Amino acid sequence: MQAAAPRRGLGVGLGTLLLAALLLAAVVLGTGLGSVTIPPGEVLGALWRGATRQALEGNDVIVWQIRLPRVVMGALVGASLSVCGGAFQGVFRNPLADPYLLGVASGSALGATVAIVAGWPRALIPVSALLTALVAVACTLSLAREGRRFPPTRLILAGVVVGSVLSAATTALILRGEDRARQVLAYTLGDLGFSGWRDVLTVLPYAALGCGALLLLARALDTLQLGELTARSLGVPVERLRLIAVLAASLATAGAVAYVGVIGFVGLIVPHMIRLAFGPGHRTLLPLSALLGGALLVGADLLARTTPLSQVGIVTTLLGGPFFLWLLRKERHD
Amino acid sequence: MTFPVKGILTLITLSGALSGAAAATSYPLTITDDLGRKVTLKAEPKRIVSVLPSTSETVCALGLCDRLVGVDDYSDYPQQVTKLPKVGGLYNPNIEAMVALKPDVVLVSQYGKLAEPLTQAGVTVIAVNPETYDEVFSKTLLLGKILNREAQAKALVGKIKGDIARVEILTKNAVRQPTAYFEIDPTPYSIGPNSFMGVLLTKAGARNIIPASMGDFPKVDPEFIVKANPQLILGVDAKTAGARPGWSGISALKAGKVRDIPAELNSMLGRPGPRLGQALMGLAKLIHPELFK
Repeated sequence: MQAAAPRRGLGVGLGTLLLAALLLAAVVLGTGLGSVTIPPGEVLGALWRGATRQALEGNDVIVWQIRLPRVVMGALVGASLSVCGGAFQGVFRNPLADPYLLGVASGSALGATVAIVAGWPRALIPVSALLTALVAVACTLSLAREGRRFPPTRLILAGVVVGSVLSAATTALILRGEDRARQVLAYTLGDLGFSGWRDVLTVLPYAALGCGALLLLARALDTLQLGELTARSLGVPVERLRLIAVLAASLATAGAVAYVGVIGFVGLIVPHMIRLAFGPGHRTLLPLSALLGGALLVGADLLARTTPLSQVGIVTTLLGGPFFLWLLRKERHD
Repeated sequence: MTFPVKGILTLITLSGALSGAAAATSYPLTITDDLGRKVTLKAEPKRIVSVLPSTSETVCALGLCDRLVGVDDYSDYPQQVTKLPKVGGLYNPNIEAMVALKPDVVLVSQYGKLAEPLTQAGVTVIAVNPETYDEVFSKTLLLGKILNREAQAKALVGKIKGDIARVEILTKNAVRQPTAYFEIDPTPYSIGPNSFMGVLLTKAGARNIIPASMGDFPKVDPEFIVKANPQLILGVDAKTAGARPGWSGISALKAGKVRDIPAELNSMLGRPGPRLGQALMGLAKLIHPELFK
């Protein structure tokens, strides 16, 4: 099946292996290193004792209850944002699309901020994020709508405007809620600190459902790349495909944004890296983006934990911004 | 040869005290403020605007509360400043309101960008904000000089130091000084031992788990706190602390030594001003309730 996807550079099978190994390496490094250095043997022992529900001793608590959930959360969020980014770029055939387009991430951030400022229980944060994400998408879609169609340029413009308005509302809330200002600010800069197993388990269904649906849509997304008219004539219900893809991506984004905040550039650059190495077919693009996105975010968080950059969103933006500019230049020269 | 050291010292102290009591600030007075600007006051300020809560407290403690004509949104102590016109906060300063109050001087923090627009509007601006423990005293004296209340400022500094010494005498004798983690923000941020709050924590009879190398108000990696395994946690409520991944095993939680900071004490602790001694007392009572029975 995968062989049907257009190839460029590395073979897809080898690529999958390499990326899976990269993710594994990131997870192992991320679990072993940090502000407290724990030797590999101790890490393995801790993982074993945790998995077999033995009593945790020494640094076990740090490995099993603090680092591993944080690393898993990083992988989950990185994978979600990257898959959503890849799907959005395909749905709207726009290389700049990512969960920020359509105001999805800004909407999620506003909902989560409301929940944090109001002091609602933690489990309600992703729910609130999802609700505002859906309201944001609904606003964007109704603004962009032209009859029964959603022309890509109008959609992107509407998304940018809705996103800006929602970000302004979030900022206003941050400044009103002085007491929690830094907590909310840290959140809007993206932070994986205090991610526990319970948070991972809360976010998991959002990621699984959202990303799962997008993976199932991969073949239809490939067809869409031939152009809307061609896709329609091949029997792809373009509008419905867009709607379902947007809903699925909103679900995954709300889950990702709910606890760890807004993490920039991952959803934008990861699909481009995969496309450069393995070609544009969505059936390889989406799963490989998940692997690379997960590895990248785990690595970025490791940097955040061990350097004064301190927050994962700051690291991804600092690394991602220049990379993206390089990407733009390179595409122009091609 | 015996030398009357003691006598000379007494003489110096005496003359110092006398001259201090006698000398009034002479205007025009030129000082260098916390923004490194040279500022000249033509005469003793009669109309004062303070945009820093700790400065408002100090001005009042110098007996000049009735000269305050405006304060920032967060100044709330002593009670009478709450009735004054509000001129905004650090993020949303109301410069027009400040100018409209026709102040002789606006006392600002070195943060925010008030100095330039106010100076251009013809208002005298002085940036004075204490950040370290020692600066609480030096800036109080500086304010005393600026406002022609040098003797009162010296007395105030003496009183604060006395308040602090009284608590310290008790806490120094504490049998056990617990290792402590003090959280000022749930992201989490803590306090280094060299910050003024860190100095208070030590004086209150606790051993700060944050090393000086991490800075004055560092963002802390949660696993560092778990590794340090403090015997006391301050600034978080027990429920929140218990819900954090891996925290249930920390000594402080096992022993039930997790204390949230009451709101009033919290605002006192955040203000490097005249209530430093009271803040220390409150903190010491939380850490060593047995000493204050």
